[in-house]
Amino acid sequence: MTCKECLDSLNALVDGELAADEAAAVRDHLATCDECAEQHTRLVEGTMRLKGALMRYEAPDVLKARIRASLARPEPEVVEPIRRRLPFFGAVNWPSAIAAAAAVAVLSSAATLSFANRKSGADAIQSELLASHIRSLMPGHLTDVASNDQHNVKPWFNGRVDMSPNVPRLDSLGFPLVGGRIDYINGRSVPVIVYTRRQHVINVYAWPSNTVSDKTVAASSHGYNLIRVPVNGEEMWIVSDLNRNELEGFVRLFAGTK
Amino acid sequence: MPNTQAEQFEQLVMPHLNDAYTLARYLLHDEHDAQDVVQDAVLRAIRHIHGFRGGDGRAWLLTIVRNCCYTWHKSHKRDRSNVSLSDDSALMVADSSSADDATIRASDSELIRAAVDKLPPELREVLVLRELNELSYREISDVVGVPMGTVMSRLSRAREKLAAVLGEGTRKAG
Repeated sequence: MTCKECLDSLNALVDGELAADEAAAVRDHLATCDECAEQHTRLVEGTMRLKGALMRYEAPDVLKARIRASLARPEPEVVEPIRRRLPFFGAVNWPSAIAAAAAVAVLSSAATLSFANRKSGADAIQSELLASHIRSLMPGHLTDVASNDQHNVKPWFNGRVDMSPNVPRLDSLGFPLVGGRIDYINGRSVPVIVYTRRQHVINVYAWPSNTVSDKTVAASSHGYNLIRVPVNGEEMWIVSDLNRNELEGFVRLFAGTK
Repeated sequence: MPNTQAEQFEQLVMPHLNDAYTLARYLLHDEHDAQDVVQDAVLRAIRHIHGFRGGDGRAWLLTIVRNCCYTWHKSHKRDRSNVSLSDDSALMVADSSSADDATIRASDSELIRAAVDKLPPELREVLVLRELNELSYREISDVVGVPMGTVMSRLSRAREKLAAVLGEGTRKAG
């Protein structure tokens, strides 16, 4: 084997791409040729250095959530009324209009907002929450303040909204805090606290309200679950694509910290 | 073959999503662009899943991601001519003596990553597919759509360029 042949094969040797007999021939040459052996050593070291330095990126949760959301979405022309799952507690009549709103929400949140505004009360709020949740899954929209420390997240809202949101730390219970943001829901600025559970994003909305309600309201649409938590003096909603059972667990933990 | 698109995603795509995202990050440099392109690529992959002939879903997915990166880049080229994916010019300020203070302070890893980012895209992609995605030459040849000999020579050139930049100039073969 000539030095040129040997050097031409070095990359393939290092990458384990040579057949056994070819590899043996190259190694025989390396054993007898200092110059080629030096090149080989250099290539091996360089490759190791490169592998050590290059970073593998982990697909972010929000990307997975966005893909799942896209796949869970029915074809735009097929808008199916939601009646597959009965609410677990509290009877909710979940009109098919919400399903339509959800489909529209994905295409244009602005359009949804005006659409939702024409409707009244809780339905409109649910549409807005769903649109807000889906929008939050788009890149760069999840948090205005990104921190897993409630002592960073809570003060961030000072002076930005007219209330101080509850930001409990639930990491040890499997719901790490991601951060917070401000959204516009029901005609006002609303603080949103963001948690995750595995690959799922959980948005917690709360704003002051005079409505007295001791009833939990739950609804699902297109793979998203919306739960209204009865809190005195507040309208609190929790929205996620997390399964209903785990989301209810989260609601209990979250409400228990109030 | 799983039935619903959601199941297809979980079973065929999810195991390779980090690989797909890593490739997109190295080809596009921007995390938000990479997210957009990977999402688009995954939805395409699932829409055209009948084109998947079984076997290793990874090379199949990476092929789609790579193509989407190039398509994305073509359509955004005007906006970002300065970080062009096809920017082959003015690579490598090879002389480390000209490095400024910031570069001197930068760690070895940062220098290497910066050097990889500056590789021309056709060299960068084979390097990432080999070193990070750990594909074989045959698989890289399929993903990139060039003969195996070309894969080998690009990989060799990529490593030579990096070695030169990182102050470990390899002597040319021959």
